[in-house]
Amino acid sequence: MSTNNEKEVLLSVRHLEVTFYNNKKRFRAVKNANFDIYKGETFALVGESGSGKTTIGRSIIRLNHTSDGEILYKGKKINGKLSKAEQRDVIRNIQMIFQDPAASLNERATIDYCVSEGLYNFHLYENEEDRERKVDDVLNAVGLLPEHKSRYPHEFSGGQRQRIGIARAMVMEPEFIIADEPISALDVSIRAQVLNLMNKFKKERGLTYMFIAHDLSVVRYFSDRIAVIHKGRIVEIAPTDELFNYPLHPYTLSLLQAVPMPDPQIEKAKELVIYDESKRDLSGEKPILQEIRPGHFVFANDREMAEYREKLKEMIAFKKEHPTND
Amino acid sequence: MSDNRFEFVKMEESASEHLSAPRYSYWASVFRKFFSSKVVITMLVISAVIMLFSFIHPLFSHYDPTSQGNINDKTMSFIKPCLEYPFGTDRTGRNMFDAVWASCGNSLSIALIATGVTTTLGVIVGAFWGFSKKLDKIMIEVYNVVANIPFTLVVMVLVYVMGAGKWQLIFALSCTSWLSTAYFIRVQVMIIRDREYNLASKCLGTKTSTIITRNIMPYLTSIIVTSIARDVPNFISYEVFLSFIGIGLDVTEPSLGRMVSDYVQYMQAPSASYLFWIPVILCAMISVSLYIVGQALADATDPRTHMI
Ligand SMILES: Nc1ncnc2c1ncn2[C@@H]1O[C@H](COP(=O)(O)OP(=O)(O)OP(=O)(O)O)[C@@H](O)[C@H]1O
Ligand SMILES: [Mg+2]
Repeated sequence: MSTNNEKEVLLSVRHLEVTFYNNKKRFRAVKNANFDIYKGETFALVGESGSGKTTIGRSIIRLNHTSDGEILYKGKKINGKLSKAEQRDVIRNIQMIFQDPAASLNERATIDYCVSEGLYNFHLYENEEDRERKVDDVLNAVGLLPEHKSRYPHEFSGGQRQRIGIARAMVMEPEFIIADEPISALDVSIRAQVLNLMNKFKKERGLTYMFIAHDLSVVRYFSDRIAVIHKGRIVEIAPTDELFNYPLHPYTLSLLQAVPMPDPQIEKAKELVIYDESKRDLSGEKPILQEIRPGHFVFANDREMAEYREKLKEMIAFKKEHPTND
Repeated sequence: MSDNRFEFVKMEESASEHLSAPRYSYWASVFRKFFSSKVVITMLVISAVIMLFSFIHPLFSHYDPTSQGNINDKTMSFIKPCLEYPFGTDRTGRNMFDAVWASCGNSLSIALIATGVTTTLGVIVGAFWGFSKKLDKIMIEVYNVVANIPFTLVVMVLVYVMGAGKWQLIFALSCTSWLSTAYFIRVQVMIIRDREYNLASKCLGTKTSTIITRNIMPYLTSIIVTSIARDVPNFISYEVFLSFIGIGLDVTEPSLGRMVSDYVQYMQAPSASYLFWIPVILCAMISVSLYIVGQALADATDPRTHMI
């Protein structure tokens, strides 16, 4: 049972490897990923395009084959070979919101069918009336109208389509939702709308999210903890405030530089750090993901750990002298 | 100004969600789009009239290409098109009106049956071919071999081996051509198969068979219609070509190709050139009208054309 400091782990990823083969050529899209997601939190996975975020998300819902490691949901292994019943359990509990609302809806099916698809597959309704009521309720919850049921996806705007995608996942009443950049294909003006909607569901239903994003500005006000991924490797994991206050890994720093500052003075004075792995001093033993402060993990070897500890001390001291309001 | 001249208007949030576009129905839109062009309607009427005559007229005329009942009656030969003989008569005094429709009906039925076999087989095999990696390995080898043998050669060899006849010709025409339809469908299925909405269906627990019928096949309607629109005129020209060079059909079976080859000698003769030009023009009219109707139907079944 969860107490305040003993949070319940919902999903646990251990030594996850995903390898793609292209004509015998191996490509490791995810390298030894390790992280836990606690029940009721929003866990953000942030990294640049092609870093393997979608691949991790898809491995969890069994769309991608994992080449090594384990994915545990409530302590039960959900990757690799599973029985039919176990596979259905995974689908019932874990749903995904897709990256591209333009591509993730069946254009030849009505909204009614799109939203009911999961209900039909699991027969999650008592009778036709019950199904219609469920569809109406969920459409209402995402701010769409029951009259939209007989329409086709191409008649909707990007934001509306994304909300249909959310409705289709929510109607399954999942416990855990993987949201793959749900707002990056949307217009800036409607991003907040979709984020608020997701937050509303989280509060009402006690959901857990894995939120995938490619820059830190989006996740700052939305997530509880953040994992930063670079070229298939998780380089830093920390609670949101901790990561913004005490970023350690050079790649995290370069991502933070990309977050626009509301103060033009700071924005102008900002010096751009571009992360280049080849320029780093990679001497010493192989780096691993290590805990530097409670809940704050960084990918480093012992020599780098010593450097980071030094840096952390400086930063903490600096923060003490210059307390800011945030 | 006093406050009571103003009135609070409640903000209705759902108002912005209202779709002002009229209700959409797929088949109604297909229908509307298809009948929106005058050219297409004309072509549809032409092909309908030709088909009606081709399939109904022979039932009454009982045309037999081997009978030469009027061969000794000199007054019956080379009558130019007139009211009694709309398409005239030939040297042996055969009524060309009967001959043309019987030939047309036979040629059309060969093309339609061959298209039916090719499309049915091609679509079913293609759908599974696109989905199964194991099947793909075998089929792609078979396809590579067959696709590299010229189609005309395959048909000619088969017809020689099996002998002339309507069903032998249909077999020869569809024997390998379903493979290219299947390949065509396979490529489309592979493109559509990994699209995000199919992954989404998988995440919702939808079975593969349902994914094929609900997610993939509706996208292929216009592609299948396109393939049919291409196959029918193609098979007609193959039949004409084969009969022209003298293989394919029995002498007892009338066909457009046979007529063209029989009367090509009159092409330059001013008094009898109608014997050659009537079947040629009819053949062209069938091909063009069916092709345009098919393409228009293919366009109309593609919902991207329904907007505007
Ligand atoms: N099915 C596949 N076969 C081969 N390579 C793949 C496959 N899926 C992904 N990859 C490769 O794996 C890497 C990670 O891809 P992924 O889609 O996970 O990136 P991402 O972090 O989600 O990027 P984005 O922000 O652009 O969505 C990419 O280099 C991609 O080319
Ligand atoms: Mg992605």
